[in-house]
Amino acid sequence: MRPRTLVALGALLLGACSRFGAPPGATEQGRAIAGLWRVFFIAALAVAAIVIGLILWSVIRYRRPRNGRPAQFRDNLPLEVLYTIIPVLIVTALFVVTFQVESGVERPSTHPVATIHVTAFDWSWRFDYGDGAVIAGTPDRPPEMVVPTGRPVRIILSSDDVVHAFYIPDFLFKRDATPGLIQQFDLQVDQEGVYRGQCAEFCGLDHARMRFTVRAVSVTEFETWLANAREQAG
Amino acid sequence: MAVTTAEAAPARGGLVTWVTTTDHKRIGVLYMVTAFVFFLLGGLMALVMRTELAEPGRQVVSPQLYNQLFTVHGTIMIFLFVAPFALGLGNYLLPLQVGAPDMAFPRMNALSYWLLLAGGVAILAGFGTFGGAAATGWTGYPPLSGPRYSPGAGVDLWLFGLMLTSASSIMTAVNFLATAFLFRAPGMTMWRVPLFTWTSIVTALIILVSFPPLSVAFSFLFVDRRFGGHFFDPAFGGSPLLYQHLFWFLGHPEVYVMILPFFGVISEILPVFSRKPLFGYTGLVLATLGIAGLSMGVWAHHMFTTGAVSNPFFSIMSFLIAVPTGIKFFNWIGTMWRGQLSFPTPMLFALGFMLNFLIGGVTGVMVASPPVDFHVHDTQFVVAHFHYTIMGGSVFGVFAALHFWFPKFTGVLLRERLGRFSFWLMMVGFNVTFWPLFVVGLRGMPRRIVDYDAAAGWGGPNLLATAGSFLLALGVVVVVVNIVVSLRRKEFVGDDPWGANSLEWATTSPPPHHNFESLPPIRSERPAFDMRHPSEERA
Repeated sequence: MRPRTLVALGALLLGACSRFGAPPGATEQGRAIAGLWRVFFIAALAVAAIVIGLILWSVIRYRRPRNGRPAQFRDNLPLEVLYTIIPVLIVTALFVVTFQVESGVERPSTHPVATIHVTAFDWSWRFDYGDGAVIAGTPDRPPEMVVPTGRPVRIILSSDDVVHAFYIPDFLFKRDATPGLIQQFDLQVDQEGVYRGQCAEFCGLDHARMRFTVRAVSVTEFETWLANAREQAG
Repeated sequence: MAVTTAEAAPARGGLVTWVTTTDHKRIGVLYMVTAFVFFLLGGLMALVMRTELAEPGRQVVSPQLYNQLFTVHGTIMIFLFVAPFALGLGNYLLPLQVGAPDMAFPRMNALSYWLLLAGGVAILAGFGTFGGAAATGWTGYPPLSGPRYSPGAGVDLWLFGLMLTSASSIMTAVNFLATAFLFRAPGMTMWRVPLFTWTSIVTALIILVSFPPLSVAFSFLFVDRRFGGHFFDPAFGGSPLLYQHLFWFLGHPEVYVMILPFFGVISEILPVFSRKPLFGYTGLVLATLGIAGLSMGVWAHHMFTTGAVSNPFFSIMSFLIAVPTGIKFFNWIGTMWRGQLSFPTPMLFALGFMLNFLIGGVTGVMVASPPVDFHVHDTQFVVAHFHYTIMGGSVFGVFAALHFWFPKFTGVLLRERLGRFSFWLMMVGFNVTFWPLFVVGLRGMPRRIVDYDAAAGWGGPNLLATAGSFLLALGVVVVVVNIVVSLRRKEFVGDDPWGANSLEWATTSPPPHHNFESLPPIRSERPAFDMRHPSEERA
C-alpha cells in the first residue's frame, strides 16, 4: 500500500514537472506542441547547464591573480571547429522535430464535424456556426464558443478592423486575425471542460478585456445545442 | 606649438562649447548622457506599469495611459537608449581604438546627435497632445496605427521622431565605416582592430541595410494617415502584412544593433581581467559577420502566427543564429580559461551579461520553433525572453562599459564598493523581475494588457516581478549616486588603471583634443599591452 502510494505520488510529481510550466494541452494539436516544448526545454536546460557550468568553473578555479602572468595562449582550431559543429547538429535536430510537429498541427482534417467562422472586432468576438447560429460578445459579456469533443472542428478566422489574435492557452495555440486575410485551422478538443481564451495581439483601448471562453461538450450535447441555437435564430 | 596648446586647452564647461562641438569625444559623451536620461525616463514608465500589474484589478493608471506607457517605454529603450548608447560609446571609442584624430565627418557627426535629440523630444511631445502619445505598441501595426483607429497627433509625432532617429543612425553608420576603413593609424590592419570597433563596424553595416526599409514603412504609414493613402488599408486593397514585413526587416536586425556592440564590450573587458589575450579573435570577428548576415533573413519569425509566411525558412535561419552566438560564448570562456581572474565592477557586469544573455539565447531558440511560438508568441514569455537579451544582456553591457571606460572619459574611477553593490542589486532585481514572467507567459498571460483576471492564477508571479523591478531600480539609483559621488570628489587614477589592451589606453585619460600626442607602434590587436611589455614575444 505505502510503496504504491509513493510510486503514485512520484509519478504525479514527475508528471507535473515534466510539463515544465506549460499546460498539458487540451487538444490533439496542443498535446503535440506540449511534447515539443518538453524537447526544447530539456535541450535548453542541457546547453545552459554546460555553459553556465563552464563559466562558473572558470570564475572559481581561475580567480585571483598570482605572481607573474598566465600563459598567453590563444586559438585552437580543432576546438573551434568542434564548438561550431556541435551547435549546428543540435539546431538541425531541433529543426527536424519542429517540422514533424508543425506539419501535424497544421494538417487539415478531412471531415470536420463543424465549421465555425470566428470574427474578431474591437473589442470582442463573433462565432458564426452558419444557419443563423451566431454568438457575439462585448468586453463586459465575453462570448462562449461551444465545441464537440473527440472530433475535429474547423475554425475560419478573420477580423473586422485591426489585427487581433485568437488564443487559448490550454490549447497552446494562437493565430492572428488580420483584416483582409482569412485563416483556417482545425482543433480537436480531447476533454470536456471550459477553457479561457483571450486576444493576444494588442488591438487598442480594451485589448485586455477582449476575452472569451470555449466550452467543450460531448458530440450529442453539441448537436442538441447547435439545433437549439439555430431554432432560436430562425 | 602655440596652436597645439590652444587646441589642447579648449574653454572648459560652457554650454556653447558643448552645443557647437564637433569633437567625437564630446559628441560621444552627449550621446551617452542623453541616452542615459532616456533610460531613466523609460525605467520610470516601466515601474508604473509593474505597479499596475502587481495584482489583478486596475489601481494606478487608465488603460489609455497604460497603452501609451508601454508604447513609449519600448520606443525609448530601443531607439533612444540602448542603440544610441552603443553608438555614443562607438563615437567616443572608435577613433581612439583605430588611432584616428576624430571621426571622418565631424560636422555630420554633430548633426546626427542633434537629430537624435530632436527625434526623442518629438516622441515624448506626444504626451502633451490631445489624445496623448502613440498607443500602438512600439511595433505600430496598422490598421491600429492608421488614421481611423489612432486619429491623434501622437502617432504622427512618433513616426516623425523615429524617422529623425533613423536618419541620425544612418549618418553615424556612414561615419563609423568611413573612419574605420580610411582613418586607421599606420600598422592598424583590419585584423588588429579591437573587437569593440569590429562590432561597431558590423553594427553600422546592419544599420545601412535595415534602417531605410523602416523609413519606407513609416513614410507609407504617414501617407496613409495624412494624405489619404491606402498602403496598409485592406478595405482598399492595401496590406497590413506588408507593414509587418517592412517593419520587422528593420526590427530584427535592430536587435543586433543593440547587442553586437556589447558583445564587443564584453570581448574587450574579459581579456583585461583574465590577463590573457582574447581566445579566438578571428573566430569572434567571423561570428559577428555571420550574425549580421543571418540577421537579414530572420525577420518573419515575428510573424509565425500570421499564418502567411514561410515558417520553415525563417525558423531554420533563426535557429542558425545560435551557432555564431555559441561561438562567442565559447570564445569568452576560452579567454577566462587558465587565466588569472579579478572581479572589479566591469568584470562583474560582464559576467552578469553572459549569464543573463545565455537565458535570453536559449529561450530565443525556443521561440524560433513555430509550434512553440504558437503558444508563447505575444505572451509574457516573449517579454521575459527579450528582456533577458536587451536588459539582462545589452543593459548589463552598458554598465560594464560605463564602469570600464569611465576613467578613460574622466580620469577618475567609479567607486568600487558602490559599483559592486549596484551590480548585485541589479543582478538579483533583474532576475526576480523577469523570471516570473516566463512562468506566467507559459500559463498564457498575454503581453500589453493593463489588467488580468484574478481567476487566471497569474497574481503571485506578477507580484514577485513587481517587487524585483523596484530592487532593479534601486540598483540604477546607486549607479547614479556613484557617478555623482565620483565626479564630486575626484580621485585621479592615471591613464590606464586596468592594465588594458587596446589603443585608447595608450593616450592620456581623458585624451587630448586630437586624441594622441604620439602613437605607439601597433604590432598586434593589443598595442597598449605591447607598450607595457616591450620585450614580450607575440603569443
